[in-house]
Amino acid sequence: MMHVEVGQEIPDLVKHPTTRQLVQYAGAQGDFYEIHYDQGYAKSVALPGVILHGLLKAAFLGQLITDWLDDRGRLKTFEVSYRGIDMPGHPYRCRGRVTKVEGDEVEIEVWGEDEDGKRTTLGAATVQMGA
Amino acid sequence: MSTTAWVIDRLKSRIGVDGPEVTAPVEAGHVRRFAEAIGDPNPRWAKEAPPTFLVALAPVSLHLTDAEEYGKGWLNGGNRFEYFLPVLIGDQITAKGRVVDVYDKAGSTGNMLFILFETDYTNQRGELVARLRGTMIRR
Repeated sequence: MMHVEVGQEIPDLVKHPTTRQLVQYAGAQGDFYEIHYDQGYAKSVALPGVILHGLLKAAFLGQLITDWLDDRGRLKTFEVSYRGIDMPGHPYRCRGRVTKVEGDEVEIEVWGEDEDGKRTTLGAATVQMGA
Repeated sequence: MSTTAWVIDRLKSRIGVDGPEVTAPVEAGHVRRFAEAIGDPNPRWAKEAPPTFLVALAPVSLHLTDAEEYGKGWLNGGNRFEYFLPVLIGDQITAKGRVVDVYDKAGSTGNMLFILFETDYTNQRGELVARLRGTMIRR
């Protein structure tokens, strides 16, 4: 088993969301709220344009964790807090680091950054290694 | 009474009351389309659902149309998943949601209404597989 220690960084995952992907996600989740694909509607509710679903950003961060974890353990808790909007056509960088190791339980912090390095999504997860 | 106070009172009366149950199968094709939509090619999703897939099985916001009298639009404030057992292709999942709290507060761009909810997901054997908590915001 790969050694896991506090401070260890999780390999970045960079996503390149497009409006097409937002439509694809809207269909797959069944969330057809217009702010995710209708520019006119998005602007009518004071947004600069269509924005990513919070839960799509959560899915990206989920992939960051499950890619890193592979079959070495299981996800126990996963939380995300949406602090800013993200728009298609801009890269979304998922990052994370180990914050606590206690026996086979590991805590990690994860976050999503826009292209200026601003953290628009903050999150945390608990994984049980070897489970 | 202002519209705002009326909306909040209506929503508060639902705190702790279970919403309607929704049961849905975890279908291979649905999970594959979900994994494609999020751009996650992990072969593991041929057998198991990815971590956030549960939100695709039932509406997470409890369709609180009363809340839409407040403000102009919805925002998702955050989500917390707690996992107890894997969700596998072929499982039959029942989602049961409830409002946990409702309050409004003044923000820099006007008042915002916060609706906290939680949803329990059980499988075909009645085992609790996951719990989702979330905050939906009207502003």
